[in-house]
Amino acid sequence: MTVNEVAVVGFAQTKHRARIRNQSSSDLVYQVTREALDSCSLTAKDIGTLIESSSDYWEGTCCSDVVTMEAAGGYLKEESKVEDDGALAFIYGYLRIRSGLFDTALIVSQTHCSQSPPLPTLSNLSCDPFYQRPIGLEEQAAAALQMTAYMKKYGATEEDVAQVAVKNLGNAVNNPYAHRKVKTDIDRVIKSKVTAYPLRELTSSPTSDGACAVILASGKKAKQITDTPVWIKGIGHSVDDYFLGDRNLMENIGLRSAAKQAYKRASIDNPLKQLDVAEICEPYAHQELLWTEHLGLCGKGQGAKLLREGVTTMNGSLPVNPSGGVLSTNPYVARGLIRIAEASAQLMGKAGKRQVGDAETGLCHSVSGLGGQLHCVVVLGK
Amino acid sequence: MKSMANPESVLKKTIELPYTWAMGEPTAKFLEGLRNKKIFGTKCLKCKRVLVPARKFCPRCFVNTKEWIQVSDQGTLRTYTIVYYSYPGQVKPPPYAIGVVDLEGADTGFSHYVGGVDLSDPAKAAGKIRVGSKYRAVWSRKREGNIFDIEYFTLL
Amino acid sequence: MEKTVAVVGTGQTNHGKRFDVSWPELVHEAVERALDETNLTMQDVDAIVCGSMPGMLEGTSDPHFWLTDGIGAYGKPVMRIATCGSTGMSVALTAFYHVASGLFDTVLAVGTEKQYEGSSQGVISQMGDPHLIRPFFPGAVAGFATQCVNYVSKYGLKMENVAEAAAMISVKCHSDALDNPYAHIKAKLTVDDVLKSRVICYPMRLWDCSPTSDGACAVVFASTKVAKEIAEEPAWVKGVGYAGDEQFYGDKDMVDWTACKTAVKRAYDMAGVMNPLKDLDVAELYNPFTYQELLWYELFGFCEKGRGIDVARNGVTTRRGDLPCDPSGGNLCTHPIGATGLIRVAEAANQVMGRAGNHQIPDAETALAHAMGGLMQFNGVMILGR
Ligand SMILES: [Zn+2]
Repeated sequence: MTVNEVAVVGFAQTKHRARIRNQSSSDLVYQVTREALDSCSLTAKDIGTLIESSSDYWEGTCCSDVVTMEAAGGYLKEESKVEDDGALAFIYGYLRIRSGLFDTALIVSQTHCSQSPPLPTLSNLSCDPFYQRPIGLEEQAAAALQMTAYMKKYGATEEDVAQVAVKNLGNAVNNPYAHRKVKTDIDRVIKSKVTAYPLRELTSSPTSDGACAVILASGKKAKQITDTPVWIKGIGHSVDDYFLGDRNLMENIGLRSAAKQAYKRASIDNPLKQLDVAEICEPYAHQELLWTEHLGLCGKGQGAKLLREGVTTMNGSLPVNPSGGVLSTNPYVARGLIRIAEASAQLMGKAGKRQVGDAETGLCHSVSGLGGQLHCVVVLGK
Repeated sequence: MKSMANPESVLKKTIELPYTWAMGEPTAKFLEGLRNKKIFGTKCLKCKRVLVPARKFCPRCFVNTKEWIQVSDQGTLRTYTIVYYSYPGQVKPPPYAIGVVDLEGADTGFSHYVGGVDLSDPAKAAGKIRVGSKYRAVWSRKREGNIFDIEYFTLL
Repeated sequence: MEKTVAVVGTGQTNHGKRFDVSWPELVHEAVERALDETNLTMQDVDAIVCGSMPGMLEGTSDPHFWLTDGIGAYGKPVMRIATCGSTGMSVALTAFYHVASGLFDTVLAVGTEKQYEGSSQGVISQMGDPHLIRPFFPGAVAGFATQCVNYVSKYGLKMENVAEAAAMISVKCHSDALDNPYAHIKAKLTVDDVLKSRVICYPMRLWDCSPTSDGACAVVFASTKVAKEIAEEPAWVKGVGYAGDEQFYGDKDMVDWTACKTAVKRAYDMAGVMNPLKDLDVAELYNPFTYQELLWYELFGFCEKGRGIDVARNGVTTRRGDLPCDPSGGNLCTHPIGATGLIRVAEAANQVMGRAGNHQIPDAETALAHAMGGLMQFNGVMILGR
């Protein structure tokens, strides 16, 4: 028995910060679980299945769900854990409800980045020990290689890339949960410190401490729980080659394929027209330009033009990252689930000062792996 | 009871463990090639691509590679970065440049250092590393059959 | 449950010390064998679920990125699952839910570990709350040794009787492994050999403990739509169950284990198993330590509480008995952790499909697979049948 209708009925996130020293990872998980349940007046007993997303390397523990499962109300529940981005855990929860074996699912994801070795150390360790690791490839360096190639191929400028940071860090000012928020300008962005050339401090995401929880319910149940369910219209996820040199960094197979799957399931053939809001995972500013191209919001190399024309700004026809995106807030594996919570807030009309007008259909995207190896796309609708 | 504990207490611990990684025959043979100043790829007979570094199977066609093919130690720089930050466990002190070079005879890019440039000033250094230009491997004088048998790639 | 998801083929590596291949190559070996058996190519595969224990075990974080090429996942959906010792079972369950969702027809499940490359106990000892649990948790052997001692005392048993029954399980498994071409440790032993082997962690002796292994396992799950095209006699998933309980040992009954009983009940209810001794034909139980198999006999309803010893003595669970347990040799003989639970599923499915070779149980129609993990927390069960 397959259930076709599944909806987001509740969600919560922490106020993400550079450093949360007074709460353990379990504490963060507990907080968002409680608040998500409260947001739709459910108790832990009402939850059929729990899918966690966390990272053993970030947590500095062997088998992170050993510790956090109970904080997510998982005692004796049908639990599982995705060791990757929270959006994948969301997709798994969706699949479980579709199977007809569960009516409700809780998805929880957290990273307490300030407790852990820095991102370059950890992402360097995700490389094979023979080739990419010894020469120091890691997430930022890989993104920098990609940015160099992008500017070269499409003639994009540092100013174009900086414009993404100006938009997103500015949007974050309206988001009470965001970590890094500032009204800034292109000049200040391109004068910020070089991290991995040509990336700079303000065109690279920070790392944050934080957590996010989302509650899913089957169609019938969802209508009982809330008057504003947000329906899952389509999902897709996919992976690109491992070696950076094997890939076309300007044509990511992972995202092209994930978007194709999600759009097909959601009957979207003109995303720019049919989508009202998008939360796109852009750990590095140029990636928002590249991903908008891969998501079919514009043609190849047209990402910067789309932004310059104001289409993706708060007042544009398809605001991208009204939350401030990952450039503002990056509790590593939780960032994909935050995209889903943020888009859901938009569609429920609960996004406060960052609310965009009359959002009916929203897109969420997440990415993990060097240069964006693995992507998820989720389309939500009213 | 009023707690006397510091609410911001932390426990710090470094986890350090020994590892022994099997590399498999193609990698062993590839690295042995470097010792002799030779760069090898393996060819997939299905998609006809020469994959560098050499490997047992083509990740896309999912069939074993068949032929060993020596490729050039020169190629075109596809992209690069210069690292200016430091972190624990880093391979060497910054700054250093990493690039992807499309070697002549190979259908995949090869990642390694880009050297021979003063990297102390990002603005000046960036202009001296040229995407699209020809680069060649600078071989280490003492070669031990590992990835560092190539010291770096330099502008031809 | 109705026939909606089936296992249609499996592939295992030759498990053991595999310094002859890199990790992606090891995984590739299992995937290739599963594709060979099913006559499928990666083009026929709609999605992939993969899993291994913490990457620290091999010193590579998020290894699915590196292993992508070995799996053949390029351009396909990939999801990495990790739930400690039960990872392999969680991978199987995730693949099951992929198909049960109606969105995917053919899903490849892959579990792997390459333990000779790292320090297993060094990593596993980094489990649980770092302030209160880790100083007292020097790895799995010690954890489950406490469970064994608790078992003996709870039911007022004599340690020498329990040790002897456990030794019989060791003899059974190591000898059965001789008929399994993929098994790691195989040996003709006597009960005396086991009882005289050196104590690793009281009361566990060398032959009571599983090895650490390099290995990978791949299992193909398929929907009703395609299952019969791929396999003549697929192994249908009849029931599933999973449950976990608290991380602190002191919070729970380690012997009359709630999470285990909960998972078993869920799977039995779904599969309509009323009398397991009669309704099941073979079971692949997760037995990293001999003593635990005695516990499983009780918690899975093969006998009364505290009577596991009788089952070991009367031969019910040997290959000629009414309910053979671990005819593959179990994980007592082969234990690449992230693959182990999936190997249980593969072995159970092979029995149902009649593909278990020299360790085939004649006419096996219903088989149970089990895995366990965490700080005595997670238990997962899958029941397969014709
Ligand atoms: Zn090929």
